[in-house]
Amino acid sequence: MAESPVLILLGRELRSAVRERSIVVNSILIPVFLYPLLLWGLFTALTVVDGLAERARSRVAVHGVPEAHQELLDSLRALPAIELVESTTVEDAERQLRAGELDLVADLEAAGASSPGLAENFRVRLLYDRALERSRRARARAAGVIERYRERWLSRRVEELAIPRAEVVGFRIDPHSVSTGRQLGTLVLSEVLPLFIVVMVALGCFIPAIDTTAGERERSTWETTLILAASRRDVVVAKYLYVTALGFVAGALNVIAMFVTMAPVVAPIVAQTGEDFAFSLPVLAFPVMVLGTFVLALFFAAAMMILAAFARTFKEGQGMVTPVFWLALVPLLFGQGSESTLTPATAAIPVANVAMMLRDAVRGVYQWPLIAETLAVTLGIVVLCLLVARTMLRFEDFLIGAYDGSFWRFLRERTFGRGAASRRRVGRALT
Amino acid sequence: MITVQVEGLAKTFFDEARGAIHAVDGVSFECRAGTIFGLLGANGAGKTTTLRMLATILRPTAGRARVMGHDVVAEPEVVRRSLGFYSASTALYPRLTARETLEFFARVNRYPRERVGARVDELVERFGIDRFESVRVEKLSSGMKQKVSIARTVVHDPPVLVFDEPTVGLDVINALEMQDVIRALRAEGKTIIFSTHVMSEAEKLCDTIVIIHGGRLLASGSLEEHRRATGKHYLEDIFVQYVREGG
Repeated sequence: MAESPVLILLGRELRSAVRERSIVVNSILIPVFLYPLLLWGLFTALTVVDGLAERARSRVAVHGVPEAHQELLDSLRALPAIELVESTTVEDAERQLRAGELDLVADLEAAGASSPGLAENFRVRLLYDRALERSRRARARAAGVIERYRERWLSRRVEELAIPRAEVVGFRIDPHSVSTGRQLGTLVLSEVLPLFIVVMVALGCFIPAIDTTAGERERSTWETTLILAASRRDVVVAKYLYVTALGFVAGALNVIAMFVTMAPVVAPIVAQTGEDFAFSLPVLAFPVMVLGTFVLALFFAAAMMILAAFARTFKEGQGMVTPVFWLALVPLLFGQGSESTLTPATAAIPVANVAMMLRDAVRGVYQWPLIAETLAVTLGIVVLCLLVARTMLRFEDFLIGAYDGSFWRFLRERTFGRGAASRRRVGRALT
Repeated sequence: MITVQVEGLAKTFFDEARGAIHAVDGVSFECRAGTIFGLLGANGAGKTTTLRMLATILRPTAGRARVMGHDVVAEPEVVRRSLGFYSASTALYPRLTARETLEFFARVNRYPRERVGARVDELVERFGIDRFESVRVEKLSSGMKQKVSIARTVVHDPPVLVFDEPTVGLDVINALEMQDVIRALRAEGKTIIFSTHVMSEAEKLCDTIVIIHGGRLLASGSLEEHRRATGKHYLEDIFVQYVREGG
């Protein structure tokens, strides 16, 4: 049985691809190592910054401390992270705070008539600059000390007055989240996963789409391909499958790498924050993710190849395809960070619809009619791109690389330019 | 046996600034098996455009061309299978090794699958590629690349071979080697269509010399026939006379 020309051509493309460093880096290494390195780097940086900030002492000025509460000053002095600074008046201290010479001003005031039962009760006004991290940190430190002191003093007083503790405390806010660690993990995954899949699939298609079109022209192998005993259609199909395959591989590797990474790398780091995360996905999410990654790869491969095919050099190709990459990411902003799910309207927005479908799947939401709409819309655009590509292939001057690598010049000259009619008549390409 | 027939072949390009450009204007000729057919012309004469139409890279604006009886417009794939095309603009795939390159061209040009290995072995030995058959093309010297390029042109054993200015950029030794290869291929019964603007090459190699200028065919015949027709001995003088008369 005769070998399929598409398979022979595809095999050649793939073999060449795995020997090209930029393709291996973009389509395989980045998707595999991005999560561990990015997350490790991010958390390490945060820890370092946090550690440096923790070492800095907070400059605090305290005013109006009642005689009965001098112990509060001792408590503040006892904390090494706080440095008590003298200032003459509250106004003067506030001026120093605004000038950045102080981090916090604690202004104490007797409660007086508002607290008739507790004669020595007091109120504290904390002045700080919320625009400054060190001032916010000083507020947190001082508030903690003052709160603990107030609790101790209150306990002593209610004991002296023989009042039940519960009556003094009144009501307190006791927040309790009903979500489990698994649900928190799902929330994180649903925000991160679709975004990374879209970016990785686009990145996975980016270099191969340029390499197999503009790159071939630059290396003078485009004409070599045109003289092969394969139809133009077979050549284009093989190239398209090749770009799609690498885009899909990039997306799939990324998902696998994320799961491999989440448990050993991210979970322990997140655990340090006191949150309890568990990362898992509903079983049905996997086929939906595979489907989503595949249609994204089909979409990006088609869109990027159409533009890159006009370029004469790799650099021109990058210039033409880069806007597609960023434009494709814009719809992703829809619904990001919100509770929204796919709707008939959002399912019609390319790229965003697949991202939302993936997010729903991670959350265990499967709206099959809308998933069908999403796939239909994306595949519809892919078919449209392929029809455009087929039309372009009929133009000989496109095939031989005219138009100075410009898509717009192609449109202009083909539609309105001098000789456009003649071009259309005689410029048809052989198949 | 006539292997290539060209009748009134024409190609017009359109340029926004210059309008219609008639690169080839009604060229007709025939080529026979076991002969070297030379297209002689200055740069821009229309040689490469003519050959690219034969190789089905370009579609003729008018006229027709047949390779082994197959029309270049109606059956481009079959024509490409019957043809080996060598030119400076058809580079090798840089990331394949020499052997992979030959295997790829044999398979994609439909050489019988079960004989691909033996055919590649034969060409590797014939062109002395065995020393670097596992080296990627991008790492080969120009001389080595030239050998692989010739081997990939003939690997599917096509009856017609097109060499478009094959010695451009080659040093003397490599250029002479190329000429030897072309002679050997003629001896095997191949039809060779050979374009050049180097008169001495045409003199030494070609059985038939066609002089092409401004897209038009000015004269066709053997070197002796051209000498008789013009009364000049050297091809350079013959060429200049035809161009002056034709221009």
